[in-house]
Amino acid sequence: MATTMKRVLLAVTLVVVAATPFLGAERPHLITRWENYTTATGMPDAKVFCVAVDGNRVWAGTEDGLALIENGKVVKVYKPEDGLAHRAVMGVAVDKNTGDLWIATFGGVSHLSGGHFENFTNLTSGLLNDICYGIAVVDQYVWVTTTAGVSRYNTYSGEWTSWSEKNAPFHEPWAYGVAPAGNKMYFAIWGGGLLEYDVAGNYWKPYTDPDEEMETVLFRNQGLIHIIVSNVAWNPDTQMVWASTYFGLSGYDGRNWHNYLTMDSGLASDFVNAPKSRRNEVWACTDKGLSMLDYSTNTWVSYWPGKQKSQGEIEITWPDRSKQKLFTPTALAHNYILNLDFQGEDIWVATAQGLSHGIREPQKEAQLYAHTRNPRSTGDLASGHPQEGH
Amino acid sequence: MTRRPSRSANRSHRSQWLVAATFVTGALLVARIPCPLAAPPGSQAEAPAEPPYLTPAEIKLSPDGKKLFVACEGNDSILAVDTQTKQVVARAPVGHRPRGITLSPDGKTLYVSNAWSDTVSEVDVASFQVKRTLNTGWGPVGLSTDRAGKTLYVANSIADSVSLIDLASGTEIKRFSTHRYPEQVVLSRDGRRVYISNVLPHLGPYDQPPVSELLALDATKQVVAERILVPGVIELRHIAEAPPRLGEYLLVPFMRPKNLGPLIQVSQGWMMTHGMAVVRPALNAPVGEGQSKVTQVLLDDIDYYFAGNDGVAFTPDGRRAAVTSSDADTVSILDTAKLARRLQQGPAEELADRLDSAATFVVARLGTGHNPTSVVTSPDSRWAYVANRLDDSLTIVDMAQAKVAATLSLGGPKEITPLRRGEQLFHAAKYCFQGQFACGTCHPNSHLDGLAWNLETPQLGRDRVANRTLRGIRETAPYKWNGHNPDIATQCGPRIAKFLFRSEGFNTQELEALVTYVNNIPLAPNRHLAPDGQLTEAQERGKAIFYRKNTNDGRAVPIQSRCDTCHPAETHYTNRISTEVGSATKYDTSGLLDTPQLDRVYEDAPYLHNGEALTLEEIWTVFNNYDTHGITSDMGKEQLNDLIEFLKTL
Repeated sequence: MATTMKRVLLAVTLVVVAATPFLGAERPHLITRWENYTTATGMPDAKVFCVAVDGNRVWAGTEDGLALIENGKVVKVYKPEDGLAHRAVMGVAVDKNTGDLWIATFGGVSHLSGGHFENFTNLTSGLLNDICYGIAVVDQYVWVTTTAGVSRYNTYSGEWTSWSEKNAPFHEPWAYGVAPAGNKMYFAIWGGGLLEYDVAGNYWKPYTDPDEEMETVLFRNQGLIHIIVSNVAWNPDTQMVWASTYFGLSGYDGRNWHNYLTMDSGLASDFVNAPKSRRNEVWACTDKGLSMLDYSTNTWVSYWPGKQKSQGEIEITWPDRSKQKLFTPTALAHNYILNLDFQGEDIWVATAQGLSHGIREPQKEAQLYAHTRNPRSTGDLASGHPQEGH
Repeated sequence: MTRRPSRSANRSHRSQWLVAATFVTGALLVARIPCPLAAPPGSQAEAPAEPPYLTPAEIKLSPDGKKLFVACEGNDSILAVDTQTKQVVARAPVGHRPRGITLSPDGKTLYVSNAWSDTVSEVDVASFQVKRTLNTGWGPVGLSTDRAGKTLYVANSIADSVSLIDLASGTEIKRFSTHRYPEQVVLSRDGRRVYISNVLPHLGPYDQPPVSELLALDATKQVVAERILVPGVIELRHIAEAPPRLGEYLLVPFMRPKNLGPLIQVSQGWMMTHGMAVVRPALNAPVGEGQSKVTQVLLDDIDYYFAGNDGVAFTPDGRRAAVTSSDADTVSILDTAKLARRLQQGPAEELADRLDSAATFVVARLGTGHNPTSVVTSPDSRWAYVANRLDDSLTIVDMAQAKVAATLSLGGPKEITPLRRGEQLFHAAKYCFQGQFACGTCHPNSHLDGLAWNLETPQLGRDRVANRTLRGIRETAPYKWNGHNPDIATQCGPRIAKFLFRSEGFNTQELEALVTYVNNIPLAPNRHLAPDGQLTEAQERGKAIFYRKNTNDGRAVPIQSRCDTCHPAETHYTNRISTEVGSATKYDTSGLLDTPQLDRVYEDAPYLHNGEALTLEEIWTVFNNYDTHGITSDMGKEQLNDLIEFLKTL
């Protein structure tokens, strides 16, 4: 009896495993509904530069203040009169240890803790420059990317440490993005490529254009696609770093580069403002929409507002480069995408005309996919989307 | 009528002084003529050997009320006192300067913070042996476990932070920032919140009233819940949570200074008042969005004050509360029902300044020993125990009768040395008109209060100067920002009596003792300097800048503009000469100001004579636009950061 049961269980398991690809693994998930937050619904400004999810709370940095969204509502707005260092909020990082918020603004760094602000500027602290873009919290350290380089604040000792062209391989000091990656930190340098910093070893490694002259790659996957890097993201699941540039999207797995352009992929635009990555997904925030590459299936999905009012468009680029369009009754707030963060299966998207909450609805996703064909994945990340020399 | 010199005349006068001062400074250095005021080379003279006073700083009662545990700051030990026999039944050595003590929820383990060792001693109550020593942040004082006894919250007074220590592993797992000089930690009865009081106010504009912070942590999520601001006050000390029948509120003693008005008004009273914040926490608000309600009520009487409010405890039955006034050698017994009624009378904002409140709810003012700090109450609500820090004794109060029942000696030395007597006098507000304040009132922990004071000028807002530390000042004369006090005796004697206390002041023997104490207030260990004295790379670079003789582009730095000219290492980084560094404002009579010593300068914010510079950076980024305070305009931000890292090692 026991043997029979084991055989039945084994058979069921094999059937499930074998059927898994056909149950949707080769079809990337879709965002099927958008809920938008604009000035009409309490956002302090239309232009949303950054977004950070902290459990059920969503923080959005705008051109005119910081907004807190909770339970579907903008519940709080912070402006300079509330203590915020500057109205333009470029980056937000949640310190998971303390619950505090660290905020990069165009007037320095704000620390929001227990409802009150403490500000750090070039004049009042060791911060390199008040024009701050990216911010990240790792253990006791707060990392800030500024227009003059990178600053690190030790919250335990109060020590500020700085890196710029004076003491590190910055071809340009203009640091945009920061991504913690285990024992390393990655920095997006506008015009200076991607910088890797080994924290324990105090060692810098620059990634720039391979020939250090053309600012861009000459051949496909030769190296970082372009040295104007607008932001950077680390995928802890795949141990890959992704760099957004104004001339395409680059990923590096520690051995090989994986570059993507609109001409040979489903990327909405080569002008990429920020990447974000988890699992087998990399998202690209572009000036023409939001793109997602599911690199387990080598399939791209891009989102942008449709031509008809409120209608959203989804463009799927299958591994064979064929494209398919789907439509949703709701749309992203705008096609100009600046930033993104994950909240479970949902996403929150910072756009030039508001904050969008992208919601995944499996039933609607199935309905949309019911009308599409279903090409099989090549399953080969590196060989997908061959990129010609340019 | 005396005509005040014009601004330009002042400037001209200052310039002459600057030239003269520069010449003198340069001459002293170039010719290597010993400064007549200079101390012998080497470190500050050691304090005279003192008997091993216990200095009981903090007490904690066992859950059954049978044992009282005492942290003895003076001899680095803890004691256990049997409350029935009133005998010391156990002693144990701990780390250096134990300042805080708490018990595990099961009562089996004591945790003692060692403020100068940056550790917590974990003590087994049964054997009274130290089981483990846990590392903390800098300057641990108050501490409390969570309700489950799994984590320990420790207030790091020097680091301005709170450490959260996992007691299973004995390691710190996270740290919360707080402002400033956190001292006491209390877990709420329901275990949901941890409250931390701060002695010093937020750093803020020097011409605005202070704002102090009571930090509230969410003990469940272990995140910052709320920073409860208490406006107009400083020196938040112990925290007591009212029993459930009184509703969920906290009492937090404070001092309410009127530092923006001229201090000569001491003779009119009401210059420094002392009371409690009544805090009703916003317990159900989301993290970061709470707005706890704070009401302030004074404990002073109309014609006499009770300075140095420090310890506070409710009786478990909620009928009474006890508040110690550490500079008035008094414990006040409060009727909580009457206090509640008083709080409901009139607008809350008025209560903060009314001196007729205490009479409505203070049942008794009981004399204690010297410098009563901590107070606890027995489980049966009958007794209160007060630690008399500078008497090595406990005062036992019968709470029902509101009388002192007994005084229990803890067995410290009987002899009172001049230094000990001096410290007692340092905390004796009775020498001030109406007992408004003692030396220790404005120099909490013998340090500074973080405020700028309008000390002696009878004109509102003129010559406002930042309070300065008293730690390690023995060899740094002259004193005061104008450098007019040649020695401590002048400052603590006639000047105090005439300008501050508005009284007859101290007699000759008392003054001698007080001077002995002030001259021997020690510096705390330097937390930015490695134990072996080895500088970090940044500190080394900063040191090179401190001693540099050329600017980045090769120009010679004039001798009067070099850091080490006015801040020489041999004399605690002060040349003890008044110098003009361009920090004077239109409110200052003179721009010539005493050169401050730089020992432990990282603890001395705010900076400059009027406290305008809130951080070390601001001294140069905001207030040195014309290179009048050393040549810094050629320096990059990285260099300034390095210089500051070096300064912190001094």
